[in-house]
Parts: sequence; structure tokens; C-alpha cells
Amino acid sequence: MLVLTRKVGEKINIGGDIIVNVLEINKGSVRLGVEAPRNISILRHEVYERIREENLKSAQGSSVEIEKAARRWREKGLKG
Amino acid sequence: MPGGMPGFPGMKRFVILDRKETRPFYWYQCVDSSDLAFAIMNPRLFKPDYSVDLKSTIREMSWEADSKNDLALYVVVNASGDVPEKITANLVGPLVINTKKCEAVQVIVQNSPYSHRHPIFGEG
Repeated sequence: MLVLTRKVGEKINIGGDIIVNVLEINKGSVRLGVEAPRNISILRHEVYERIREENLKSAQGSSVEIEKAARRWREKGLKG
Repeated sequence: MPGGMPGFPGMKRFVILDRKETRPFYWYQCVDSSDLAFAIMNPRLFKPDYSVDLKSTIREMSWEADSKNDLALYVVVNASGDVPEKITANLVGPLVINTKKCEAVQVIVQNSPYSHRHPIFGEG
């Protein structure tokens, strides 16, 4: 991992078209501004991680359980 | 699916399978790996007021010229437990499928008011 020190107002470039600005530092928090092409999604790491973990779990679900749930769905008379 | 599913890098091609016996669930089956399939469903079947702001997704995917009617919304179902009543759906990471262009993306919603483990049969 590359580690570098920046001051407020300084920037780093990632590749040719992503720029990270250090906007403000206050009581242990850093405010960052990210300039990136519109097809690059920028997410807080923990949000992405939650979806990743949920995808991994969901991929382990068995078709037997889904069949049971589908039966339950019909028994309850739910639409779909 | 150019961006794939987080957690499954390189898996980009999927088809939707509709098996009558597992409706209302559909299968989001990976074409690159036959072992990989997600159960998905229409979130409005259990959460009629579910809504997601797709503006930035439409921009990121360059779908501006496409009709909203061509965008299908699904959520990924987690049935990894063994109690059907406890099955949940991920309302924070919906799948949006452009049925006309055959492109898809898993949207990750920042500051979502919904849960990534929403019980589809209700809390009870």
C-alpha cells in the first residue's frame, strides 16, 4: 500500500482521471472531495463491503430453501 | 453486467431463469460459472412503496436515452438459513436490468433508508 502525507488543499491523482482532494481535517475526521469520471462509482468502503458480504451469503442459499419459501409464499396467498 | 456483483469479480454474464415452482423468485444464473446463481425477486411484491433513485445509475451506465419502462428492478434474496420465514432480501443493493440493452448493474445505495436484510415475510 502506498502511504503519503498531504495537507489541506493538496490533492492526489489516481491514474489519469481521478483526483482526490483533501478539503478539511477536523478532530480525527478528514473531508475528501473526489473527482472521477461518471462511470466510476465512489462509495464508502463499509457500504460496499456490506453488499459484498450479503452477495456472498446469498450465493450460498440453497434452491431447496427457495422452493420452500416459494411454497410458503403461495400458501399465504401472496401475489406474484 | 460490466461491473459484476461485488464479491464475484470477473463474473459478468448472467441470465434470468424463471422456474414455475420457485416463483415469485427468479434465478440470476451466472453463465461464466454454472455454480453461481442468486435468487432474485421483484421487491414491490413485499414492499409496494420501495423506491430507488436511479439518476446516477442511469448516468453511470449511459442509459439516459432509454425508457424507464425498459429498466427492471430486482433484489437479491438471502436464503442461506434453513427457516423459510427468515428469508431476507437486500434492499440496499438492488439489481437494475436494462431489458432492451441486456445490461445490468447492482446499485449500491448510499444512505439507504432500507435494510440489506429485509424479511420478505414480514417481521413476525
